[in-house]
Amino acid sequence: MTETSEAAVLRGKRILIAKPGLDGHDVGAKVIALALRDAGAEVIYTGLRKTPDYIARIAVDEDVDAVGLSVLSGSHRDLVKQTRASLEAIEAGDIPIFLGGTIPAEDWPDLYALGVQRIYTSEMPLADVIASIAETLK
Amino acid sequence: MTAVTGKQRRSMARALSRAADASVAEVLASARGSMGVCRWIGVTGPPGAGKSSLIAALARHRLGRDGNIAILAVDPTSPVSGGAILGDRIRMEDLAHNPRVYIRSLASRTSHDGLADNLPDILEIVENAGFAEAILETVGVGQVEYAVRHVVDTTLLVLMPGAGDQIQAMKSGILETADIFVVNKADQPGARQLAVVLASVLKLKASDGQGTGDGWLPPIVSTSVQDPASVAALAEAIDRHQAWLAGRQDVGKRLEKRRAQHVESLVVRRVAEVLDQLPVELLHAPLASLYEAVVGRLTESAPSSGVAREPKERTILSR
Ligand code: B12
Ligand SMILES: Nc1nc2c(ncn2[C@@H]2O[C@H](COP(=O)(O)OP(=O)(O)O)[C@@H](O)[C@H]2O)c(=O)[nH]1
Ligand SMILES: [Mg+2]
Repeated sequence: MTETSEAAVLRGKRILIAKPGLDGHDVGAKVIALALRDAGAEVIYTGLRKTPDYIARIAVDEDVDAVGLSVLSGSHRDLVKQTRASLEAIEAGDIPIFLGGTIPAEDWPDLYALGVQRIYTSEMPLADVIASIAETLK
Repeated sequence: MTAVTGKQRRSMARALSRAADASVAEVLASARGSMGVCRWIGVTGPPGAGKSSLIAALARHRLGRDGNIAILAVDPTSPVSGGAILGDRIRMEDLAHNPRVYIRSLASRTSHDGLADNLPDILEIVENAGFAEAILETVGVGQVEYAVRHVVDTTLLVLMPGAGDQIQAMKSGILETADIFVVNKADQPGARQLAVVLASVLKLKASDGQGTGDGWLPPIVSTSVQDPASVAALAEAIDRHQAWLAGRQDVGKRLEKRRAQHVESLVVRRVAEVLDQLPVELLHAPLASLYEAVVGRLTESAPSSGVAREPKERTILSR
């Protein structure tokens, strides 16, 4: 008689949604936070303009399964690199990073090389984003 | 006392996850014991009253003394998806930079009492990590949550202007709900009026001889998070309550209550686990047989031998 909601593919996962850097575009981050919640995840949202060190610290304290960065400023390369470094500095380099926002396709190879797990833009249907994250974190 | 750093932070964070995810069987199998001496402060009250903001202000003030501070903040789990948005720490931002502070967000999961699953075990880990003081924010579902009283030493009920009607409505139970009443947002209109209503209700109760029954008269403290003096006054009220507690003889009684609350939460969850695994046909049986079946399963299968639920598999019915 278990009626686990079929959509709850992220049940039991804890995910940090963070806005690093200076851009104030927070609609996408909030949309994703709600979608993750509706998929069963426990979501911690940082709010705007957080430093990579701060994000890494929260990722550890909240024992999250993944860090999701939302960047619409164009500085995704630096912010990803710094967040990675901040995580590694506190021995949490194993926590996967997802990236979303305005990320031109030509930057993707570099970002993957910097250790980003998956990249999402507004062209990708929300359901596919969730399915892809669930698949990666399985 | 040194800051909680590096590896220690991560291993504590992970231990807390394991404790939160544990099935009833796992909880019973991992009998620990608290070795810590930690002052627990519980903060309850309706959503938006300013609990998170006030906890941040209080912690900032109390960092002036020795010892590290832990903050646990519970937000509600969605009954539909089982997911949650854990947003309390947004109000505690500057604190998160302080190595002497540890903040952890918890989802209520299957708990309906404003707390979170396995909270006693979670508190124990925090205590054993050597924190001097810990502050617990309840869900704040709108009505007053009583369960928190049994797991903390000092309970604060935070209200904001406009809650006057609420107070009137809960007259009968109000004295039992808190050790300290906080009228927050004292910078807003209506705060003074709320304090007056609250005082009159408390006084009425006290003169009925119906006080808390243990000699503590809960003070009313008006605060505004922007006003350090008001936060200091609240901190002082907490100290007074804790000093009063320390002078009491009935520590054993409080521990008994805490144990009762702990075992009750486990039994409630175990019932949910049993219901989850019940064959659907049984739900169509007469109520008496259904009841018998559930009780039978509860006693026959000690949860450790029974099929413990996957800790992360929570279902609609169980919450
Ligand atoms: C709305 C908007 C604004 C609003 C923002 C309101 C708000 N509170 O968010 C306002 C008007 C304030 C604004 C201001 C500016 N904006 Co603007 N803005 C936009 C616009 C039109 C839409 C952004 C949006 O909300 N989209 C809807 C959401 C749902 O989509 P999304 O954020 O992409 O998120 C989706 C995915 O990317 C993904 N996703 C996002 N994050 C994450 C994270 C994770 C973990 C995952 C898994 C997925 C994921 O999932 C989401 C759902 O599908 C974009 C153009 C565009 N097409 O993107 C420009 C845009 C982002 N802005 C831009 C600029 C330049 C600015 C300004 C600097 C303009 C100026 N000169 O003043 C200012 C700066 C503001 C600031 N402080 O940062 C540029 C950025 C250029 C760049 N990247 O190099 C853009 C791309 C416009 C452009 N083509 O030039 N902007
Ligand atoms: N004016 C005023 N606003 C406050 C005060 N304390 C909190 N707030 C605001 O009240 C809102 C809710 O606060 P929050 O701490 O999240 O409340 P909680 O839901 O009880 O945890 C936020 O916008 C706070 O900034 C206060 O003392 N005065
Ligand atoms: Mg709160």
